Amino acid sequence: MRDFLATLIGKIVRSALFFRREGGYTLPGLVIEKLFPNYITSMLHKLPEGVIIITGTNGKTTTTKIVAELLRANGKRVVTNTTGSNLTRGIASSIARQANLSGSLNYDSAVLELDEATAKNFVKIIKPRWVLALNVSRDQLDRYGEVDTIASYVGEAMQAATEGIVTNARDILLNKLAKKIASEKTVHLKFFGAADSLGKFFPDDYELAAVSGSVKQRASPTPGGVEVELADFKGQSVSYRIAGKLYRSKLKLTGQHNFLNGAAALALCGQLLPKAETKDLIADLSKVTIAFGRGELYRFENGSTVELVLVKNPASFSQALASYGAGKEDLMIAINDNIADGRDVSWLWDVNFEPLHGRRVELVSGTRAADMALRLSYDGINTKETQPQLPKALRQLTGRPGKKVILATYTAMLQLYKILGKQAEKIS
Amino acid sequence: MKQLHILHLYPNELNTYGDHGNVLTLRRRTEWHGLQPVAHYHHPKAALPKQIDIVIGGGGQDSAQADVQADILKIGDNLRNLSDQQVPMLLICGTYQLFGHRYTTHTGEEVKGIGIFDAETIGGQKRMIGNVMVKSDFGILFGFENHSGQTFLGKSQAPLGKVLRGGGNNGKDKTEGARTNNVFGTYLHGPFLPNNPQFCDELIKMAVKNHGDEYQQPGIDDSLSMAVRTNGHRRHY
Repeated sequence: MRDFLATLIGKIVRSALFFRREGGYTLPGLVIEKLFPNYITSMLHKLPEGVIIITGTNGKTTTTKIVAELLRANGKRVVTNTTGSNLTRGIASSIARQANLSGSLNYDSAVLELDEATAKNFVKIIKPRWVLALNVSRDQLDRYGEVDTIASYVGEAMQAATEGIVTNARDILLNKLAKKIASEKTVHLKFFGAADSLGKFFPDDYELAAVSGSVKQRASPTPGGVEVELADFKGQSVSYRIAGKLYRSKLKLTGQHNFLNGAAALALCGQLLPKAETKDLIADLSKVTIAFGRGELYRFENGSTVELVLVKNPASFSQALASYGAGKEDLMIAINDNIADGRDVSWLWDVNFEPLHGRRVELVSGTRAADMALRLSYDGINTKETQPQLPKALRQLTGRPGKKVILATYTAMLQLYKILGKQAEKIS
Repeated sequence: MKQLHILHLYPNELNTYGDHGNVLTLRRRTEWHGLQPVAHYHHPKAALPKQIDIVIGGGGQDSAQADVQADILKIGDNLRNLSDQQVPMLLICGTYQLFGHRYTTHTGEEVKGIGIFDAETIGGQKRMIGNVMVKSDFGILFGFENHSGQTFLGKSQAPLGKVLRGGGNNGKDKTEGARTNNVFGTYLHGPFLPNNPQFCDELIKMAVKNHGDEYQQPGIDDSLSMAVRTNGHRRHY
């Protein structure tokens, strides 16, 4: 009865918001949380194939989307939180939206993306069957804390897995933690990773900030080998090495970090779907499209197009530059310092701007536009214009036809979405 | 003097808050002074280079601080000698703490420092996090602090400046940082030098004078830094 009421209330709040044309991602959850604090637990305990948690600093939203779509392609009914709202509030909202009106969830399993701190608390209430830990690196330190702390949160989540852990062989902190946990309790441990030749594309936190000629050792090789390895990529043609065999595919996903997220999802789904053929899973992966805020494309009337890419910490910004930096598109960078972006912008100095050497940035914008221009200047990169006001900056950027890319922090991205939604047509 | 030798202490261990930005800024501005910067990275257990004109150190996690503690005690005498020779040094957060007498964590564990500053640090329960503005002999200093350690200066120890906004050394006595000879410690990152280019030039000036050379302030277009600093005045969070 309680679940029925909570679900109903969640749906009512959401539809009220819908008519006000607002996102409504977390408010229904907030209302439910206040009225029915046990809602999430009660609903998720009913799932026959349990709960799968995906956590880590970067790639949660996309990987969650891939895993859910691979499971669905194999006939599983999956409840998920795919909107980037990965706090408990967002989960409650997602559940209420996806439950039927009698308050039951007609699903086999839940695939949930949780930030590291939420994951640590969440597993105290609900034991996940599998935990997929993607990576840990410095991220909004004024808000989340230091990397050792974050890694320990992920460790607590991995510790709670009842059946197995999937993690990143390349990430020295997670690699060590996962091995320690697997040596102390009976739980499967599977690794995904990238070939050594691709190492430079996927630095872990230590490598991100280490000076060249660094002395620290790499993560030791994994005893059972790597389950799914990203072997190579060129454009969107990607090859994975799985159980000694090479599989090639052309993906709809862009960005090398998403190719590695694909490896993570394949490693997990191989465990969740023991009967599925690897080649079929790869075919399913090739159909997955990018997630919210991860490179969506808009077109203006004058023919100019804008691709919007979220950058939120040194790793994700460096990845975005590696993917977009060498292109011919006009580039705008929008940096805000609201609470959800992190108040401290020191992290901009840990980003690798090498891909922009010899290029010009058209515009910098956001509350910390000046800081961004200053950062670029010390790398010898010129900025044509500093325009802190986002609407004005967007207008200037799209005034002339051509391809544009905007790299933006979280709240800057949300602001840009609102404007783009009104003024441009979304094409992917 | 044609080259300026920069010693960067523990770049792989103490680099959490954009500390590489300080070294990048120092290198660029050294070039703009017509000098060639030569960066030496000092890793634990390694030997120090022969020529050292400026020393830089950053902040890090507690685990990293423990990693470098044994080494810094070993090179403590060298650093004290350099301090006596008026070599400029800028030490941020974690390295600043290690330049005091000791750091006592909130669990009571004691980490010994090299005592160039008459200061000691006590691990607090609450972190001081936010934008900081400091009044100093080098003008207003801007930065961002994020530390749980509370540093208390001895009676004779000069601070770097007075806190106008933010927590500073300990959130209580309005002091921020420390200065002994040309050795400066501070909790401000942001990073510190790009936010305070006049301070960076001061370090270069000290190094040039140590060589007995005449210092000439070059014309540098600092309009971008000035824009950042102007915004800094308005940043009440």
